[in-house]
Amino acid sequence: MPVDTRRVRAPEESQCPLLFVPLLPRGPLRTVAQPEKARVDGRQRSQVDVRPVFARCGLVTQAKGSAYMEAGKTKVLCAVYGPRESERKDDTDMKAGRLVCDFRYAPFSCPKRGTWIQGSEERDAAQALQEALRPGLCLHRYPRAQVEVNVLVLEHDGSVLAHAVTCASMALVDAGVEMYDLVLGCALRQDGDSYLLDPTLAEESGGHATQPEDNQGGVTVALLPSLGQVSGLHADGELRDESVSAAVRACMEGCHRLYPVVRRALVYAARRKAAPPGDSLET
Amino acid sequence: MSLLKLCVPGDRLCGAEDCIPGTGTYLRHGYIFASLAGYVLRKNEGEELPIISVVKETEAQLLPDVGAIVTCKVTSINPRFAKVHVLYVGSTPLKDNFRGTIRKEDVRATEKDKVEMYKSFRPGDIVLAKVISLGDVQSNYLLTTAENELGVVVAHNEAGIQMIPISWCEMQCPHTHVKEFRKVAPVQSEYLQA
Amino acid sequence: MATVQICEAEKVYIMHGVRDDLRIDGRACDDYRHMEVETDVVSNTDGSARVKMGDTDILVGIKAEMGRPRPLIPDEGYLEFFVDCSANATPEFEGRGGEELGSEISSTLYKMFQNRSSLDLRALCIVPREHCWVLYVDVLLLQCDGNLLDATSIAVKAALFSTRIPKVHVSEDDEGGKELEISDDPYDCMRLQVEDVPCIVTLSKIGHRHVVDATLQEAACSMASLIIAVTHKGNVTCVRKVGGGSLDPESIFEMTETGKRVGKALHAPLMKLLQEEEVLGKRRQKVGFLG
Repeated sequence: MPVDTRRVRAPEESQCPLLFVPLLPRGPLRTVAQPEKARVDGRQRSQVDVRPVFARCGLVTQAKGSAYMEAGKTKVLCAVYGPRESERKDDTDMKAGRLVCDFRYAPFSCPKRGTWIQGSEERDAAQALQEALRPGLCLHRYPRAQVEVNVLVLEHDGSVLAHAVTCASMALVDAGVEMYDLVLGCALRQDGDSYLLDPTLAEESGGHATQPEDNQGGVTVALLPSLGQVSGLHADGELRDESVSAAVRACMEGCHRLYPVVRRALVYAARRKAAPPGDSLET
Repeated sequence: MSLLKLCVPGDRLCGAEDCIPGTGTYLRHGYIFASLAGYVLRKNEGEELPIISVVKETEAQLLPDVGAIVTCKVTSINPRFAKVHVLYVGSTPLKDNFRGTIRKEDVRATEKDKVEMYKSFRPGDIVLAKVISLGDVQSNYLLTTAENELGVVVAHNEAGIQMIPISWCEMQCPHTHVKEFRKVAPVQSEYLQA
Repeated sequence: MATVQICEAEKVYIMHGVRDDLRIDGRACDDYRHMEVETDVVSNTDGSARVKMGDTDILVGIKAEMGRPRPLIPDEGYLEFFVDCSANATPEFEGRGGEELGSEISSTLYKMFQNRSSLDLRALCIVPREHCWVLYVDVLLLQCDGNLLDATSIAVKAALFSTRIPKVHVSEDDEGGKELEISDDPYDCMRLQVEDVPCIVTLSKIGHRHVVDATLQEAACSMASLIIAVTHKGNVTCVRKVGGGSLDPESIFEMTETGKRVGKALHAPLMKLLQEEEVLGKRRQKVGFLG
């Protein structure tokens, strides 16, 4: 093909300039002068300070069960289908049911537009979601069947995996799938010696533009609150050993903060769905 | 009515010595916990311990289980087996399709070697059957009709007219009086509403 | 997945053994199996290593290619991981069978290196915004006998240690255009600092205790395991809970503690071994594959 040398050709690939604007004002998350400064949204550092949560069940009428959850600007929608006939028959364990998870970001959910094709980040999240939810489900009651969990992130403002876990467990309860316990998720961003619980997207990704600093990283914990068991644990970044334990403890505390809200939403949904069974059943 | 308590999965309901765990509950470390979100019910039956269960608005998620009586529709047949879709478990309709198989040797209890599939079922028949196995990796649910009460309950002939059972192995068209072979089940009164 | 099925009696036997700190092959709970590490095994690569741990055998080849830096991090090169589960290892991997396991391992490797200290990626940059080195790390599973992740991470570290990237000289011409000149002297090359590259320790919970480096039989007894990537300083770069079970918080703390201790103890002998092998140079005895 003849090349027009008089014109400057555009590059093959282009990037949105907004991506290069730092989400937080330049500089490290914490200034040296004010190490205990409050966070951008007014919450406190190193405190179990979760964002206010809104949760509702049963919004997707087609699905067996569904839930919608908001925490700050993070918005997650989840629908549960099944138990239905298992598609894959090559599983070795036929006595228990299968849990199939799908996790997707809506294309407009992140600062940069995503594609509809599932990326590797979404596949990892789906895998993490599956592993966090499975210990909470009584899958042995559904032999040969599969339960499908679909999570769609409508708006990404940090701690997505944690809220997806909580939202998915609410949808599973709404669908009437038998569970040992609820599964609640909570995330944390370790920043030097202090931590930020339930971080926003800016807090999650902040610090990359700054100097390499010790002890930076993110932790996500999934907890079965009544049984006191940790069903999922994800940590990335570079953490000192003792801050891993401290972060897990803080996240568990954060999950317990969520528990009353989630519980109330589930009880409300159960009451709205059915009037109390008649006296004839009661003796 | 306000006394009825609502619970969510993971709630501890009572000790194992106080009640017998019913539907929507599970037993762990000597306590009974809820596994569903719904109302907590205690039901006394005789002098035994009350049964504690959790009820939801919809019937618990039923799946075909071994020993369950299911209502199914025949989708295809061949000389060795008939393929069916399970529609009901007991009297509860299923939301999703579950496929099952009735093998030739499971059609009736006696003279198994003389069974001919084409003389037992036709596609479209509604059949009462019992689950004998959940099947293995390759197969679907295995069903049987080898009992007196099990077999074809509703069948249509080629003209689409519903036929009337006249014996345990024959059905007749009320208009043309043409007889067709089926493995007929006398309809039991308890299943009539299903 | 490469798994084995074992019966209840075997499970009970293994679990009782683990309770008494004695495993079926005679190890204690936090002992590794015998390990063999060999570098520079494939001549066509820029760096390669083979690790044999028990009967798990892993081959890693690294190839450096020139690429463009990622727009958001213009002054760094990057690593790409590919894990191939060869059908040689187990027939289950045939066709697409090994894909799931492969992507799981590679995503863990990505996460492990997704921080500033594991590897100095700025050393891979040639001209910011324009040229950088991309290291393609290809992992091949030759034999599977449990604990793939630990063996893979050790093999990756050894392969990165042996990687030699030719030096590039950038010269600017009169019009401001840049010219790259790649050195053709095989000894004029750049080495990577691998001191801080973490190693993965997989801890499998069996009964009330946990074991490191579980064999396939032991893995079948475990409901949940914890993967911990530890640097030689004892920093943790990645933690994952895998498997269908849950863990109680106390055992998580215990497991991270063990993971840190075992991981730290793993680095020093590994580096020593790699350096010793390096000193031997051509004189060393080659073992070769599956040797």
